[in-house]
Amino acid sequence: MRQRRLRIVAAAAVAALIALAGCSSNSGTPGSSGGKEGPAEITFWQSQFEPYQQKWFKTYVDKFNASQTDVKVKYQVVPGDTWQQKLKAAQAAGTQPDVATTNYGGIPAGVANGQFAELDGLLPDKAWSDIKSNVGGFVQVGGKHYAYPMLVEPSTVLYYRTDLVKAAGLDPNTPPKTWDELLTWAEKLTKGTVKGMTIASVAPDLGWSSWGLQYNACGHLPINDDWSAANAKDPCYTKLFEFYQTLFQKGWIPQQPKVGYPDATPYGQGQVAMMANGSWAVGQLKQSFPAMIKNTAVAPFPSVDGDPSKPTATLGGWTLTVDAKSKHKEAAAKFIEYLLAGDPAIMADFFRQSGFSKYTVRTSVDQALASDPAATADPFMKIISDKVVATGKAEPAYPFDISLAFATAIESVMKGKSDIPAATQKASDAIDRVIKQQRLKGTAPKG
Amino acid sequence: MLDTSTQPTGPVTQVAGPNGPSRRRRRRDAKLTEQVPRHLRAHLTAYLMITPMVVLLGIFVIWPLVYAFYLSFFEMSFYKDAEFVGFDFYKYVLTDPEFYESLLVGLKLALMVVPTILVLALLLASFLATLSKRMAAFMKTTVYVPAVVSSVVAAIIFVFIYQDEGFANWFIGLFGQGPLAWLNTASTALPAVAIPAIWLGFGVSTLIMLAGILDIPESYFESARLDGANFWQRTRYITIPSLRNVILFLLVSGLTLTIQEFQLPLVMTNGGPVNATNTPNLYIFNSFRDATPYATSYSLTAALLLFLVIGTISLIIFRVVSSEKSSDA
Repeated sequence: MRQRRLRIVAAAAVAALIALAGCSSNSGTPGSSGGKEGPAEITFWQSQFEPYQQKWFKTYVDKFNASQTDVKVKYQVVPGDTWQQKLKAAQAAGTQPDVATTNYGGIPAGVANGQFAELDGLLPDKAWSDIKSNVGGFVQVGGKHYAYPMLVEPSTVLYYRTDLVKAAGLDPNTPPKTWDELLTWAEKLTKGTVKGMTIASVAPDLGWSSWGLQYNACGHLPINDDWSAANAKDPCYTKLFEFYQTLFQKGWIPQQPKVGYPDATPYGQGQVAMMANGSWAVGQLKQSFPAMIKNTAVAPFPSVDGDPSKPTATLGGWTLTVDAKSKHKEAAAKFIEYLLAGDPAIMADFFRQSGFSKYTVRTSVDQALASDPAATADPFMKIISDKVVATGKAEPAYPFDISLAFATAIESVMKGKSDIPAATQKASDAIDRVIKQQRLKGTAPKG
Repeated sequence: MLDTSTQPTGPVTQVAGPNGPSRRRRRRDAKLTEQVPRHLRAHLTAYLMITPMVVLLGIFVIWPLVYAFYLSFFEMSFYKDAEFVGFDFYKYVLTDPEFYESLLVGLKLALMVVPTILVLALLLASFLATLSKRMAAFMKTTVYVPAVVSSVVAAIIFVFIYQDEGFANWFIGLFGQGPLAWLNTASTALPAVAIPAIWLGFGVSTLIMLAGILDIPESYFESARLDGANFWQRTRYITIPSLRNVILFLLVSGLTLTIQEFQLPLVMTNGGPVNATNTPNLYIFNSFRDATPYATSYSLTAALLLFLVIGTISLIIFRVVSSEKSSDA
């Protein structure tokens, strides 16, 4: 009997050990090298974008790995909707990537959290001086660089079908300049199953895609400049709320959108006559719906009062950052220098692949593209660059909770769940709560 | 439950090798045996058998849970020292109207889904119990099929059904109604999410209910028939009381699972419109969105509070509908 009991104890112990062994991690530490003699191995996580971007990244990661023996980049594509969860899990386990794609809006919060390595000493001065002056501030906190920019892309541009516009008795050469004119166009272009236009109509999309229009309506975002209190109840926002409300409640935009704001498919498939979308939609139309290009024109998104100098878009975009805990910061910086800050032909190739739907952040890349006939002949690039990018504002650096609170107010009004005063009051309370709980007062980035 | 007092000897005292232990050793064993309480001696083997599971539960459930409660008192950062904040995050979650809204959404969804599943499953299981063996086997397979469909796939199928030109609008169009924006109207979005939840859940519930019905002695029904009881009376006075424990299990597991529903609203509505389908787990998932230490600690605390809420609801149900041994046990 004793032997039997011993066998049971032993079996229990073995079972527990096997289970534990099965659950043990065999992953390495961040930035672990292949061995003392081998190259420094760095991991690079890229948020998943359009397919051509993955192809471009893969091509140049391979070329970088083949071009030298000191650094080996392990490249991984991570879907955007699971990015934060995956990244936090990796940070908790100490397996976070050495290099990662980071959007401009995420830089100040990451720096405050100590997440990013300072890059000033890691990249040569000429790399920094090559960055255009209107973008330089996007990657700096307290006068120090924490990211290297890759591109900018305005969040809101107006696309419209010239053939449908003509058929509706409108002039495609004089696109709407005010929100009221745009509503008129949307009404006239709504025919049968074709809606007048498409624009964000759910809070997660409205949260960021309406930043430019928030600036346009009021000249500010729904928070004080020093992030000390909410500023969502400013009466100037009434026009913004009414604009979205009219589009939805009149049925001039799809009542049940099949895709999110950044996806140009409904326009490409002819389900809508106009589209509010970012500049990236140009790339999607060129690649997935080339037949639609000849009947498409772009214009700056209309302004609340027709003033074209007011911003209608924020300049979003992506950068590469180096993790503060990376054991191979120099190697990581060497990779970033090769990919984003070195030979202008590499980034010029990126913009060519994008169908010129994104915009450069380096003077030398502009020069490389100036001699490219495809770039100079592009029908959309000049309009977006001169009339949209030129007036674009930087993305806000405050937590997305604030954007979401205001966007929820817009959605509530659109869908008739509350009136404008009640919705803005609720948004204001929510924003004040975020300010207090996340101790934001006085933490707004300067400049 | 075995009566240990009737056991001839505790298992420890029965140990004897082929050649028998030495007298000294026997004395030492007897002394040890006297020190171990009799009920522990009787169940030692059972305790040993469950040890691996207890160890694993301890490592992967109990300890993380305890540690999570400990961490909820800190604002955690993976790059800086954690800052002790006491009950701040509990205060933040408990003063956030969206947390309560999400709980309400979870409860509403559970109230739409669980009773519907229970009624459908009871009716279907009662019907299956009357079928021939071959027909019942076919029907059981048919009923169970939705249970093996991934909820993500089901969600996508139902998104198509609810589209402007989808089946749902075609169907109500036959009665001169619609089209409706099922997933983008606050009043219809939650019921629209509840329907795939019912479709996915009622197969398993039906089979569990059927197993319970088949366990009821046939003599009960025969006696009732002789007394002239009809189907509804037999269901009311025999089937339902005999299925008390099965129904309790389905009620508690159904409620806790449905309140925590995550994939269907994530895929179908992402919590919208205007948070109408923002279930507690989706709310927690979305509050994890920002890359700040605040977001991490807030999500953790909200998850712990949800654990307490669901635990409390389960306890209340157990108190209200107390489980009993089967009447013929």
